[in-house]
Amino acid sequence: MKRRSFLKLALAFLGTTSLAAFVYPIFRYLAPSAGGERSNTLSIAKRDIPLGEAKEIVFNNIPAVVLNRPGKGLIAVSRVCTHLGCLVQYDRENKRLLCPCHAGVYDLEGNIVSGPPPKPLPKLPLRVEGETIVIG
Amino acid sequence: MWERLNNWLEVRIGVDDLIRSQVSEYRVPKNINIFYTFGFVAAVGYLIQVLSGIMLLIYYVPHPDHAFRSVQDIMLKVPYGWLFRQMHVMGSNLMIAAIGLHMLTVFVMGNYKRPRELTWIGGALLLFVTIAFGFSGYLLPWTQLSYWATTVVTSIPTAVPVVGDFVARILRGGDQVTGATLSRFFAFHVSILPPLFLLLAGFHLFLVKRIGISATPFGLPAEEKRPWTEYHKKSHVDGYPYYPRFFQMDMLMVMVYLAVMFFLITFLPNIFFPADATIPADPFKTPVSVRPEWYLLAQYQLLKIIPNKFLGVIIQLALFAVFLLWPFFDTEKEKNIMKRPMLRVLFLFAFILWVILMFWGRS
Amino acid sequence: MRRLVLSVLIVVVLPSFAAGGYKEDFAREFLSKTWVGERIEENACIDCHSSEQMKPAFQEIPDEWRKSWHAQNNISCSDCHGGDPKDPSVSMTHQRGFVGTPSARQVPEFCGKCHIGILKNYQESGHGKSLRASGKGPHCVVCHGSHNIQRANIEIINEQRCGKCHSYDRAMVMKQALFLVEKKIGVIEDGVRALRRAGVYSAEQERALFNTEVEFRTLFHTVDVSLVNQRTGDFTRKLAVLEKDIQDIFAELRSRRNFSAFLLLLFGGMAVLIYLLHRTDHQ
Repeated sequence: MKRRSFLKLALAFLGTTSLAAFVYPIFRYLAPSAGGERSNTLSIAKRDIPLGEAKEIVFNNIPAVVLNRPGKGLIAVSRVCTHLGCLVQYDRENKRLLCPCHAGVYDLEGNIVSGPPPKPLPKLPLRVEGETIVIG
Repeated sequence: MWERLNNWLEVRIGVDDLIRSQVSEYRVPKNINIFYTFGFVAAVGYLIQVLSGIMLLIYYVPHPDHAFRSVQDIMLKVPYGWLFRQMHVMGSNLMIAAIGLHMLTVFVMGNYKRPRELTWIGGALLLFVTIAFGFSGYLLPWTQLSYWATTVVTSIPTAVPVVGDFVARILRGGDQVTGATLSRFFAFHVSILPPLFLLLAGFHLFLVKRIGISATPFGLPAEEKRPWTEYHKKSHVDGYPYYPRFFQMDMLMVMVYLAVMFFLITFLPNIFFPADATIPADPFKTPVSVRPEWYLLAQYQLLKIIPNKFLGVIIQLALFAVFLLWPFFDTEKEKNIMKRPMLRVLFLFAFILWVILMFWGRS
Repeated sequence: MRRLVLSVLIVVVLPSFAAGGYKEDFAREFLSKTWVGERIEENACIDCHSSEQMKPAFQEIPDEWRKSWHAQNNISCSDCHGGDPKDPSVSMTHQRGFVGTPSARQVPEFCGKCHIGILKNYQESGHGKSLRASGKGPHCVVCHGSHNIQRANIEIINEQRCGKCHSYDRAMVMKQALFLVEKKIGVIEDGVRALRRAGVYSAEQERALFNTEVEFRTLFHTVDVSLVNQRTGDFTRKLAVLEKDIQDIFAELRSRRNFSAFLLLLFGGMAVLIYLLHRTDHQ
């Protein structure tokens, strides 16, 4: 009888451990990540970006650019070209965003005009609070 | 405290009687063997799929623009997401293996014969539903492998004239695999197939309990020959009680199933992820080799080698019909396969052919 | 019952032999083709240039191109030379933008249609100025070839190539300046390949690497050693961040393996215990 009780005890122990080994991951899986992701917002002064100009920023580790477009207002788009990842540059004269790697061209909304990029540039959430621009 | 709980339940649902009839006095034949546990293992396999699937459902997004990314997030960003995804992927393949073993056992033991024809048919339909699960789930990660394997399989019905194109369009939700395909495969996988599976499984289990477990044809002197002309439940008065003896065997095989699953997750985590399964779907780029999953490879290879596609599809359907209705083809009373050389040869031939076709289909 | 099913099956299967000739086109187009095939695009340029009538020098071009990095990325004839690859009759007309073979002086802008960052650096460089002034000087094709263009690597700088116009030591100094960063790039490329082999989707890392690598190599085209040395620090920093990212992923993969091995032991252990219990109970 002793062997039997030992085996049953060992089984109960392993069984409980296995159950715990699943309950813990389930809990971590379902619990929302603590504190959200890195910095939630980035603020810039409005006067830092005159009309027609742009400012390069980094938001949540993504290089991005904030454009002050004549007649269309402010917009923030990611600078990571959707083709292969090079960083696009603001071309003021031709009112476009140009990728120096393979000549991908985007308009000032981030939409594709020509070249190899498969998708438009993702926009970042932007709002104006008084004299400050808040990204994120 | 347990006494009081037991009492409370006893007055309301007669717990003692329930346990007595279903567990302690439920007897299994004396010559039952470990192979009889495969059905239970398959059912537990299904349970694991449901639970891991529900976990995945919490983070998965069924839209072509987000499907791949959401699966990657589950693998890389969500804590322990990798665990549930791996269990689901390994589980889907292991469950089909368990069902296959169960099917082989039933066949070799002759347990599909009268009065158990309905049980066999229920089982064959369950196999079909499980493969539908595997096939619909395969598309959901939206990888190159998913997309193109789905394209190939959904174009198979087009070999049938008149209705073929229509059937293919219904399957795909259009002329090509698109977001519409993803939506309907997702709906099937998550809301239509599960209740269908449960219905069939319930039917299957009900029949097993109602008719009684069939003893193996080996080990005991030959059962009385039928004809079975009236219903009577097969009981084994001199058999063993289900609990603890056979329950232990069931549990042992479940642990083995889980150990195999975690062996794969630890040492062969990419066994079901070839290179094409890690790249997002690209409708404009066909990968060099497009193949369905291993459990469909034999059928696929058969289709490829028959030069006339329509004939190929018809043969597949015919083979499935024979499989589904097998108890009506084999009405010989003798259950012991060792006493039936023709059936043995036929079975071995079909099985070896299936294995050869599967390996051939891999290259 | 059995006979009924069998006869139904035969009735259904037999007509399929007849249906094989269901429709002539259908039979030819679909029934005898493979189930899934490559979508082969028609290209009039390649059709003519691979034919027997073409002169040998031109006939070699499609094969050369097929070996190139351009071909692997679906960049074909018309992307550089213009023209229309779909319609042989107008494939080389002015109206369809056909440019033909560029002269030596036209080469930088020919390639610079797409590689604009490199064009800018090149034109400001000693090499660019030399080409404009004398019509001689290393343009893109001199170093990279015309049709069998491979991925850029540091070995393009060698005595045979650079020694054609001036002494090799100038080129050697530049090669040394590039060396550190190029080596690091090589290490990270290996790391990314290992990631893919391990089943991890590495597009983010590949993009970051590509970005850095291309920016660095574009810089080379200024042929300005001091500038390269100045910027080396920036690039090594960016690459170090990337390297750490990749190491972190491998560490995570190791810890996952440990966790699932632990679960494997638990289940294996329980299987053994149940087996022993079974044996104890039913000796």
